[in-house]
Amino acid sequence: MSETIAKDQPLLCNPDVVLREEDEDGGLLFNPDNNAVKIVNSTGLFIWKQFQSINTPESAAVEVLKNFEDATQEVIQTDLEEFLQDMLLTGFISKVINE
Amino acid sequence: MIENENGVKLMSTPRSVDIAVTGKCNLSCAYCFYADEMTSRTDLTTRQWLDFFAVLGKAGVMNVTLTGGEAFSRSDFFDLVDGVIANRMRYNILSNGTLINERTMEEFEVGKRRLRLESLQISIDGSSAEVHDLSRPNSFGRAIRGLQLLKSAGFPVTVRVTINRFNYHDLENTARLLLEEVGLDGFSTNEAYPCGATNRYEEGIMLSVPMRRAVMEMLTRLNEKYQNRISATAGPLALAREECAIHEARAKGQMEFPGRGYLTACGGVFDKLAVLHDGTIVPCHVISGLRLGNILKDDFIEVWQTHPLMKAMRDRRNIPLTVIEPCKACDYKGFCTGGCPGGALFLTEDFNQRNPMDCYRILIGEEGYSPDTREKSDDR
Repeated sequence: MSETIAKDQPLLCNPDVVLREEDEDGGLLFNPDNNAVKIVNSTGLFIWKQFQSINTPESAAVEVLKNFEDATQEVIQTDLEEFLQDMLLTGFISKVINE
Repeated sequence: MIENENGVKLMSTPRSVDIAVTGKCNLSCAYCFYADEMTSRTDLTTRQWLDFFAVLGKAGVMNVTLTGGEAFSRSDFFDLVDGVIANRMRYNILSNGTLINERTMEEFEVGKRRLRLESLQISIDGSSAEVHDLSRPNSFGRAIRGLQLLKSAGFPVTVRVTINRFNYHDLENTARLLLEEVGLDGFSTNEAYPCGATNRYEEGIMLSVPMRRAVMEMLTRLNEKYQNRISATAGPLALAREECAIHEARAKGQMEFPGRGYLTACGGVFDKLAVLHDGTIVPCHVISGLRLGNILKDDFIEVWQTHPLMKAMRDRRNIPLTVIEPCKACDYKGFCTGGCPGGALFLTEDFNQRNPMDCYRILIGEEGYSPDTREKSDDR
């Protein structure tokens, strides 16, 4: 079951996940620990790259909005939330727990 | 992705790489396709392999297959495995199984070695030492012991049976051993190929056409008994499935399968590359004569993307069988892919020819052929 992600929750890509940018329209994420593969479109790829270093959904949304000018803030928030939920659920992205 | 002048897209890096980490082997198998390379080349060092794995990791390669020689004969084998893991890849192992013991099993439990192991394939070529050891001398007991250790510990172990003149009569017993006694989910099959040690075997070890037909029938029958737990991507069982599909299609009046009628067999060159134990880059371990460079001095990814031989092998799928001399008049060419380019290279000295071992017309006796009679054609 998915849980709501706080806007200021620090998140980070799983460092074991491999990104293959196989197409200009997106790429392939591969988790060698469980052989899971995810095909991502160009937006998903852009979002993924926002979390290659520790970042929050709020900051990522700002960057997505800047780079995908045709989309509304509302659509971006919804898409980002869905994408991150899926990534967290499948272990491609993890929450960073502050000590 | 990169795109060639014909609009064909190619992944910018291979997804997987087959790597012979050593040319050393504790066995001397009668049909070993790698036998000539083993004696003529020397192994890379641990450091050289680890540096290469870093190149693969940076390129996003997802999977490597570690083979030899016998991969477990390297004393640093698990250091190499750790190098694969550190570079975010999964791995397969091809082995004769004879060096797998309790100590090996303990080694696999370290770190992510077991987690990242995709499969471990052991070669078993008969139901008894009397049969297996004819192909793989003095090794049956140790190979079965290794297999059973892996199976009982829940490893992703698979078995390959390479069918040849020594064991083709023993398939029923072999299936019983592997599927009933050892309890494997399944096993795969292929057949001895006309290269390496096979060529040195004076009495001949490859199947004749009548033997191949007998094996096709036997494997089909065994698969009915064992609910398709025997598999093949090449060799007699794959041919049997192909033959069945052709019969069904012709009974319905079809004269072709979609996408056939060209040299389209084997998509390996679109997905993977291979490296010999001295670092030589080749399209596939079976065709080790097509040398593309060496990882110690050449850019591996550049070889993948631009080497003329890789391009030629990828472009062979644009060659229609109507321009291949033995295929021009064939009634079945619309069903055909020309077969393995490696077999074509060995038997005709040109990978842009058909592979006679995969030829349906030869298989059903409409064209005479013996594996000892190599054909050459430069009429194309």
